[in-house]
Amino acid sequence: MLIQLLNGFVYGGLLYVLSVGLVLIFGLRRVVNFAHGSLFMLGAYIGYSVAQLAGFFPGLLASITCMAIFGIILDVGIFRPLQKQDPLLTVLVTFGLLLILEDLARTVWGKDFLSVQVPPLLSGNVEWLGLSYPSYRLMVIVLSISIMLALSLWLKKSAIGLHVRASSADALTTGMLGVNTDFVSAVVVGIGAALAGMAGVVASPLMVLSPSMGSYILVECFIVVVVGGLSSFTGTFVAAMLIGQIHNLGIVYIPEISSAIPFLLMFAVLIWRPGGLIVKGAQ
Amino acid sequence: MSIQSSMKTTLICVLALSSMIGGILVPFLPIGPVNLTLITQGTFTAIMATSVGLLIHQCGLISFGHATFFGLGAYITALLLKNTTLHFTLIVALAIGLPTLFGFLMALVVVRQTGVAFSMLTLAVAQVFHEVILKWRNLAGGDDGMSVQLPKILLGFDSLIFQTASTMFSISWCLLTAILLGLYLFNQSRWGRLVFAIRDNEERVRFLGHDTLLLRAFVFSLSSAIGALGGVLFLLYNAYVSPELLHWTYSGFALVMAIVGGAEFVLGPALGAMVFLFTKDAMGDITEHWQAIMGVTLIVITVWRPAGLAGIAETQFKKFKWGRRDVQ
Amino acid sequence: MNPVALQGIKLTRQFGGFFALRDVDISIPAGEIRGLIGPNGAGKSTLIDVLSGRSTRSQGSVLMDGQEIHQCTPQERRRLGLARSFQRTSIFTTRTVRDQLELASHWKNDDNVQEVMDHLDLKQHQNQVANHLSYGHQRRLDLALALIGKPQVLLLDEPAAGLTMQESLRLAQLLRDLVKRWQITVLLVEHDMDVVFTVCDRITVLNLGEVLMEGTVDEVRSSSLVISAYLGRNAA
Repeated sequence: MLIQLLNGFVYGGLLYVLSVGLVLIFGLRRVVNFAHGSLFMLGAYIGYSVAQLAGFFPGLLASITCMAIFGIILDVGIFRPLQKQDPLLTVLVTFGLLLILEDLARTVWGKDFLSVQVPPLLSGNVEWLGLSYPSYRLMVIVLSISIMLALSLWLKKSAIGLHVRASSADALTTGMLGVNTDFVSAVVVGIGAALAGMAGVVASPLMVLSPSMGSYILVECFIVVVVGGLSSFTGTFVAAMLIGQIHNLGIVYIPEISSAIPFLLMFAVLIWRPGGLIVKGAQ
Repeated sequence: MSIQSSMKTTLICVLALSSMIGGILVPFLPIGPVNLTLITQGTFTAIMATSVGLLIHQCGLISFGHATFFGLGAYITALLLKNTTLHFTLIVALAIGLPTLFGFLMALVVVRQTGVAFSMLTLAVAQVFHEVILKWRNLAGGDDGMSVQLPKILLGFDSLIFQTASTMFSISWCLLTAILLGLYLFNQSRWGRLVFAIRDNEERVRFLGHDTLLLRAFVFSLSSAIGALGGVLFLLYNAYVSPELLHWTYSGFALVMAIVGGAEFVLGPALGAMVFLFTKDAMGDITEHWQAIMGVTLIVITVWRPAGLAGIAETQFKKFKWGRRDVQ
Repeated sequence: MNPVALQGIKLTRQFGGFFALRDVDISIPAGEIRGLIGPNGAGKSTLIDVLSGRSTRSQGSVLMDGQEIHQCTPQERRRLGLARSFQRTSIFTTRTVRDQLELASHWKNDDNVQEVMDHLDLKQHQNQVANHLSYGHQRRLDLALALIGKPQVLLLDEPAAGLTMQESLRLAQLLRDLVKRWQITVLLVEHDMDVVFTVCDRITVLNLGEVLMEGTVDEVRSSSLVISAYLGRNAA
């Protein structure tokens, strides 16, 4: 049972790392990035390719770097020009991007499932209180918690973190105060994309790689973000863990309808509290 | 209505009628069985694209879940044909009626939201159905899909008329034309214009004495009904249905067709569907990258020519008619 | 038909601890044009919002023609004959003047679109898209939309907002003529005192969410209570 719970936290952790990127992007640019799942997917594939040559960790590094750059290009090329338009326009354009990136992945890496090995460093099990649990999975949990703490710290303590929070609250005034909001946005979107890529690489030993893995997890990501509240990082974490548990326990105990439950939850939340389950301001 | 607009309406009705006659005659032309199959499938997609486009035009709502209604139309027909001995008209009535009813109930809840929230809600609903059908293997075969055998006689006709391209094309083309005509007339009517006015100023419409939620829910159910009809036709022709039809990305494709074709025009989405169909077929080898092409086209149209292909056609027509002077 | 066309009883609207309206009583006889004035923040627009159904969280009773309508939605109220105009112009920007006025007329068979356009001097602009009208004409259109279908009671929220003195007085005249001709009961919120004193039969004065006084134009003009309420505000 504990194993199941831990597995739920593993999946939740992955969802968190991916979703927090979406929240960051929404916070700064007020748009929902429908291509976010594709960033996850690309990150995983880039990690795979580099891992074939140089090992898992260089793959991770390469992926994070590439996706960060891609994120900046995304912000400059799409989010910034469409800033003043109806957010639905960005939804459509990023959806178009999703279609393109999936096709790209299929062309470059083929549509067969690929798999990535757990890095030898973390391939063992951790023994504790009579329980044996894979080290890699434990690492994922630790990683997601670390990222949450790191992000909180960064947002609260650093100068740029202050700018990010200010821009999220009121971009216009922040801009008038002399902060280069475009620069801040580019940085944040870059980080969001990098996190998506990281999530992709970290997830790859735990799932199969396919071009459509992006659109699949995108939907769960939306659920996390809606349930957690688009403006709350704490909410994202709690929601991600919740959805992770539901996803996991559901598969084990009630497979037929388990995958429907998160959607029903999202549906319920959007109806009753368009702002999410966590009240704004819990940041 | 002024004389000018009633003349225009009469003209449109005449065009619709000619289109239907044309649809009946087309199978007699030497266009080859492959092309005939192609355009038959095309009409189903055109009907689905039209249902998505209706919602965009009248309500400004972008639904990522309309494939649900198309898929439900197909699945309900299949399940009823397979498991019951109900009369065919009843089956069709249920296959269209149940998704429409669901659409109406769903709309009462969902249409309160607008913009991205609405899109995400429709996505969620679509995925619920997708997951249920996928996982519930005993019901409908899950991933493998479900094939059905049509009974020999339907509505007094040999059921083969639904499975042969030449006859099925005429049937669905006429239905498509009827739907488009109906939508055109609806848009011109008082109720159609009122719903459209909600996009401009929802509050004022309410203060003029109308329940805006009910109005939009009505349009939503109308689009569900159209989508479901498309699904029924799809099933009758292909005698097979699979969960792909319920996936949100399938809705996405219909969305792309509607937007590229031009959702602000009644025949825009259908045009978009047909154009994609023919281009895909003509491109042959490059069909491998079909998805990317869709993505690029969507981006280009959304950013550069939001009025879509129909809009471009209209502008060109106006330029031709009035000269380049004052037309953008 | 009830002699009292519109009545508000103990209307209260709270925002947390702040009372925008507190126990407001107002009673307007049929056919009267009642002015509603008061310093900024007095609660005038809030009262209109409560009476028209735009504001949903309020206590008290609203009676139209003796019938309780406090629980009614804005659309239900309109169907019963209660119409309103808006302080921030609320029109259909992409439609022509004539188009939207026709859109506004529905169940009533008498198509008073022509009459309204004539009276409010909008006829020459009938085929212009609302977006292209001057601000002044847009204000008139906002008012015109409320007049379609000859409502029984009309709530006007600063119809002259942003208009020049000349435009305001002209509008006031047009309004008074039309309303008297059609015997519509009116509650008119206005800052422009010239308009109020020209058009209204009686005036209710609000201050800090409560009714300060109610009386004829002369009574209100000469009331020291009213004067100090306005001056008190300025002095503070």
